[in-house]
Amino acid sequence: MINLIKNEFIKILKKKSFYIVTFIFILYAILTNVIYKEMNVLNYFDGTTIEYLEEENKSLDLNNEDDLNIYVENLASIDEIKYQDNKTNSDKALITKYIYPLLIEKYTYQYIDKNEELRQEIDLQIKEYMDIIDKQDWTYFPKLEINNLENRLKDETNLINQNRMNDLIKLKEYRINNNINYDTNNYLNNAINTVELDLYEYYNLKNMNNLDDEQKDRLDYLEEEMTLNKYILENKKDILSSSNLNAVLKNFSGEFGLFILIYLIMISSSIISEEFNKGTIKYLLIKPHKRGTLLLAKLITILLFIPLIMIFLSIMEILIGGMILGFNSLSIPVMIYDTVSMSLKSYNIFTYLGLNLLSNLPIYLVLGLASLMLSTITLSTSAASTLTFLIYLVGNIIANLALTFKFKIFKLFISLHWDFSYLVNLNNNPYNIKPYISIIVVLIYLFVIYLTTYLVFTKRDVKNI
Amino acid sequence: MSILKVEHLSKKIGKKEILKDVNFEVNEGEILAFIGPNGAGKTTTIKCILGLQKMNAGNVFINGYDIKKDFVKAISKVGAIVEAPDVYLYLTGYENLKMQASYYDDIKEEELTRVIKLVGLQNRIHDKVSKYSLGMRQRLGIAISLLNFPNLLILDEPTNGLDPEGIKEMRELLVNLAKNGVGILISSHNLSELESFCNKVCIIRAGEIIADEEINKIKNISENKYIIKVNKTNKIKDKDLKVIDDHYIEVIKDEEGIAKVIKELVNNNINIYEVKKETLSLEDAFINIAGGNKID
Repeated sequence: MINLIKNEFIKILKKKSFYIVTFIFILYAILTNVIYKEMNVLNYFDGTTIEYLEEENKSLDLNNEDDLNIYVENLASIDEIKYQDNKTNSDKALITKYIYPLLIEKYTYQYIDKNEELRQEIDLQIKEYMDIIDKQDWTYFPKLEINNLENRLKDETNLINQNRMNDLIKLKEYRINNNINYDTNNYLNNAINTVELDLYEYYNLKNMNNLDDEQKDRLDYLEEEMTLNKYILENKKDILSSSNLNAVLKNFSGEFGLFILIYLIMISSSIISEEFNKGTIKYLLIKPHKRGTLLLAKLITILLFIPLIMIFLSIMEILIGGMILGFNSLSIPVMIYDTVSMSLKSYNIFTYLGLNLLSNLPIYLVLGLASLMLSTITLSTSAASTLTFLIYLVGNIIANLALTFKFKIFKLFISLHWDFSYLVNLNNNPYNIKPYISIIVVLIYLFVIYLTTYLVFTKRDVKNI
Repeated sequence: MSILKVEHLSKKIGKKEILKDVNFEVNEGEILAFIGPNGAGKTTTIKCILGLQKMNAGNVFINGYDIKKDFVKAISKVGAIVEAPDVYLYLTGYENLKMQASYYDDIKEEELTRVIKLVGLQNRIHDKVSKYSLGMRQRLGIAISLLNFPNLLILDEPTNGLDPEGIKEMRELLVNLAKNGVGILISSHNLSELESFCNKVCIIRAGEIIADEEINKIKNISENKYIIKVNKTNKIKDKDLKVIDDHYIEVIKDEEGIAKVIKELVNNNINIYEVKKETLSLEDAFINIAGGNKID
């Protein structure tokens, strides 16, 4: 039996198609990693140009109140862009955060309230802030806010607000103590900003009674986001980055799952039909082995091929991704938020990748065997591969439909059962199906598909040319 | 000793009867020429023997084992080429041989060298088969079928693509194998290719065996085929005379026999314009002594 399986692997590895797909995979992996890398360079400039804003302003009717507001905003934006010219990423963010609101105020006084005195006052303030920014003294701003918060805290009687303000003060102190400026490419800055932004809504929802479903979902979401970002700040680990090798590997199934499928279908849809079409089956079937044994060898080859190709593609991606994105991020753990215990579970990136691929194994097992069956029945590689892709697509459509339409009949479809990744990601099953039920359904499908293949293969005549 | 025994073999595809009650036998050291035109059922018979197609009725025994019930034992001492030597084109000749050998228990590396030498492929054995000519593939096919020391060799039109030199070499190889006790079934649509070295002939037409004889019976045959031109053929009743059209008849006889036929025709008032002697094809001679004008 080992010899038979070995022969099947030799046949696979000696074929050109295997290398063509591998070549395409390498190109695709390079492209994917480059795209991830490019996501790192967050362009602060949102694409609006001064010319465009000035052009728009010319077309506005300043007697109309709405138009006037737009006019004021545009003027503020034009100044903001001018101020940001030649500034560091951190300074640009500071300008948006602290100068832009003042600019709006300034032009509101100038064009709407027509209050020259206040406008001049604001102008001075802007100048002062810009001087501070130019002196690279960014800590001025968090210190200023801490001051304000502490003053407000003295008069604050509401316990929730007190807690919130204390949290905000802690965040700003953290920023100063850890020397984290406002650079949008710094993950710690982003984590602080996210928590600051969410705090208000989070405290509100948390202390509200009788939340409706939408509010509950929102609170769950905020809870998860806060937990993850607090972890980042406490451990100084960039677990949410979307532009390192860690992120690519976290999304491995999404990015490269299609290639696992392509390899699998390429092999399993031809492993029988090609032998018949090329006539090589005749030599195979006159060897001293039962047809059932020969088929079993082919089945085991496919079963072994799936994890092997997963490992092969993972290693290739780690090498290619490492060369493009660096290997450092491999030490960052994958943190998964457990909605039940409201805590984080940590995985080593390789463990996470392995578990995720393992949880997808039933998809590939079912499709591989289906492809083998179709290849045996139709003796046409193209028909078998096309139909298998179709099963995959239709399966996904049904799985999506089943999220909205709760028809019982959907539960008979394999595609509601073959993906176990929700277990790894600590989510609930989207269809409320117990894992053991899914396992039984998958096994039944596999058994029926193999039995059909066996019956067709062992009874089939080798037709004359 | 009988190595291959085919008994009452019948095969239907749909309603069409492809094989009708086929019977024959190959004994130790025998070379059986299995002759028939294209579509007569040669390949189907071979496929049924090898278990590649299911038979509707009948039995096949190889070395005493029933191919249906005891497939693995029956097939283990068989070497065969069916239709064409269809090997993996993307592998080299050697890789193909090695792979085919690995399906048997303990065939050693030396055996590969042995069969390569037997078929004379030493120089090209490490080339990809896709670069081989049909003749070279035929040689590789024979090498593969000899890997497992078969005592039954089944070759389906193995001379296809071989040059005269190749045919000669194959003939010597097969005669040698037969001397060592291997039973050989070799199919062809042309008996003349095989007559010099086969010792039994089996002719199949439209799924039926119409002749199955020792080759010696025709070796010293004195009969010839005569074409006779006459004024009219409608009065001819003699079953030995085959009417071709209004003016020509065909007859297979020795010299005394043809003299009697001519006398009889004259007695029946038939004018003879011409009597032409033709050499009798081996197949016709065979069918003739097998007792049938069953052709067509």
